[in-house]
Amino acid sequence: MSDPDADRTTSVLARLVGPFVDRTVAERLVISVAAILLSIAVGFGIVLVSGRIAECSTAAWTMPLTGIGFCYDPVEVYVVLFNGALGYPFAVGEPGLFNAGWTPLNLSFGLTLSETTLLIFTGLSVAVAFRAGLFNIGTQGQLVVGGLATALSILALAPLLPAGPVAGVVLVVVGTAAGAVAGGLWGAIPGALKAYADANEVITTIMLNFVAANVAYVLVLEVFRAEGSSVVATEYVPEYAQLRPWLFPTSSDFALVALLIGVGFIGALYYFVEHTSLGYDLRTSGVQAAAAEYGGVNAKLTTVRAMTLSGALGGVGGAVWVLMSEGRWLASIPDLGFDGITVSILAGNNPIGVLPAAFLFGVLKGGALEIGFRTDVPTQLVAVLRGLIILFVAMPEFFRMIGRYAGLGGGGVARPAEPDETAGGEGGEADA
Amino acid sequence: MRNPLSSTRFMQGLFESDYVRSLVVGTVSVFGLLGLLGLLFPDSVAGDLARIVFSTSTATSTARLAAPIVLAGLGGIFAEKSGVINIGLEGLLIISAFVSVYAASVVGIGSAVLGVPAVAVGFLAGIAASTLLSAVFAVVCIEFKADQIIAGLAVWLIALGLAPFMSTVFFGGVNTPNLGSDATIGWGTSATLVILATAGSWWLLNRTAFGKHLRAAGENPKALDTVGVSVSKVRYAGVLLSGFLSGIGGSALALSIGQFVGAGETMVQGKGFIAIVAYLFGNYNPLGTLGAGALFAGLDAMQIRLQQLGYAVPDTLVQTIPYVMVIVVLTLVGRTQIPEAAGEHYETEE
Repeated sequence: MSDPDADRTTSVLARLVGPFVDRTVAERLVISVAAILLSIAVGFGIVLVSGRIAECSTAAWTMPLTGIGFCYDPVEVYVVLFNGALGYPFAVGEPGLFNAGWTPLNLSFGLTLSETTLLIFTGLSVAVAFRAGLFNIGTQGQLVVGGLATALSILALAPLLPAGPVAGVVLVVVGTAAGAVAGGLWGAIPGALKAYADANEVITTIMLNFVAANVAYVLVLEVFRAEGSSVVATEYVPEYAQLRPWLFPTSSDFALVALLIGVGFIGALYYFVEHTSLGYDLRTSGVQAAAAEYGGVNAKLTTVRAMTLSGALGGVGGAVWVLMSEGRWLASIPDLGFDGITVSILAGNNPIGVLPAAFLFGVLKGGALEIGFRTDVPTQLVAVLRGLIILFVAMPEFFRMIGRYAGLGGGGVARPAEPDETAGGEGGEADA
Repeated sequence: MRNPLSSTRFMQGLFESDYVRSLVVGTVSVFGLLGLLGLLFPDSVAGDLARIVFSTSTATSTARLAAPIVLAGLGGIFAEKSGVINIGLEGLLIISAFVSVYAASVVGIGSAVLGVPAVAVGFLAGIAASTLLSAVFAVVCIEFKADQIIAGLAVWLIALGLAPFMSTVFFGGVNTPNLGSDATIGWGTSATLVILATAGSWWLLNRTAFGKHLRAAGENPKALDTVGVSVSKVRYAGVLLSGFLSGIGGSALALSIGQFVGAGETMVQGKGFIAIVAYLFGNYNPLGTLGAGALFAGLDAMQIRLQQLGYAVPDTLVQTIPYVMVIVVLTLVGRTQIPEAAGEHYETEE
């Protein structure tokens, strides 16, 4: 029966897909999906309740059977959110399932992918620290500092080089490296404080976020502000040194090359964490610090290294934000660092998982813009969903319990559909 | 078990360790030195600083700013002593700050519900909202065994999204309109609440059976279980108390100016995290927390006054002083005597 050749293929296949079908990985995946569905359900409740309390002249949605009117239509919110983030591939309220004129290269999808690209870097930044058992809440600050270093170094170097594509490549590389170094140094501070003074990194990184935002703001306001600019921002970096949109519409601020670099970073980081001795040190000190120390790992140095690497990734995120999204450093910086926490937690802190998690969150962020255009529901809804997702992913035991009640026992895996039903009660509780 | 309250025991409770004593001595001498320098060189920076530190307006704004830090810090002590690290204090402050203003505006300033004026209704609603959110956190941590740090972060991020969301729903913007001076509470109320809560917490922690149970739940839950006290119940009580106290702090913060500001990191601006450092600095002692909270709030009040004096330093840079100070303090204090079983789940053994 057993043909050795077939055996080999199955074992190769098993090794290839092993990490993905491994029970714990599968369980994490199910928990992540269930957490997303549950937070969407709770978000549904929040939209309903706030739609009940908000004032409007005509009800946007009437609850079936009861006839109670609501100012916001929660179904429409989610349709706009997900359909809009992709540029409306699905026809809603019109004949046919798909919109005939839809292409993937549309503006909304470009914006979604742009967010995805940025979230890959901040997600990786948080994930690396997590793997070493450190909570880096400071990715936001590292991104601010890194982005500023990128903008300033390019602005300083650009006049020295002849304008052109070659200079562009050099400037982008140098600028990104400057961002990584600055972010890395900023990240090394809480790392060193944690390693040598036992200062809790959650607190120090949050405090450093405030410090980074304020110091960078003052630096740009007082020294590097662009002349005649009404906002606090640096000069634009030369266009040839920006990551310009390709294939997608210019206003999408999405450069395919940046996404590819992000995917490359994912691969490199996966290799680093799983297949290098430094990555092994990092993981073991994350799982069992005392044992790692006993096994000859310098835990203090590993802590500093992990935070430096994490900060450097945050800094690269800042560089990409400057070079791709804005073309300059701007004082109003989006919450990319905090979203990175969600992405990392959703990904189970696995670099490979960061890709789908970043895409999903990119969809939420891209869809938030559409919600702002097309509905009355405040776009801060996505920030609420961000918190809910983290909360639900943090409680795997809840889903295991539901799995047990649902009689799935065995793997302790909950069917995603199940938590949906309990969500009604849970949602009510959270809103009250 | 309990000894009669002799005065020496009382003093031991107050200054239980060299650590707290050196803290007190250090604080007093810094203030003394500053006062002396200010008297000797009235025209220097030290003179300006001394005038600021010892001025009434700094004192009143310190009282106002200390309320959220000290009250959330006291709440943090109860949660952490019981074995649940509550890093979501910031979120509890945010939600209570918003709900207090919202409820007060719904009732309408000048009106009253059942004889209770709008400001008081807002205050109570803020406390209720914070307690409710802490109840969700407690269920998630105790019942569903969530990672306490991640769940705490989630509480913060949920409030950080929910408060501006609700504000936009009800008021059309992330900042609520200002309710006017009739809707505010004075600095005296804030100061009284802080002092009452500190004294009450100290009494609860050190002089009651509940305090003993609380410490046991954090240090040695098994022993508590053995004598027949439910560890879960004690932990629920600890976390709910942290929600209750943070609720007072958040409501006091928002109602002291009569407005909720939801832009950026909201008006709370990290005070919940500073509160954590305050109780670590105070070594889990309510009096130490009061001192540390007053110190951080004093720095904050000082930077506001410094801005008004017009030194050539940009305002935003001066604003970072309290944050840097928190990092410095945390670095110097490092890890304090964290309860043995804090952060761990406890399984009841049948």
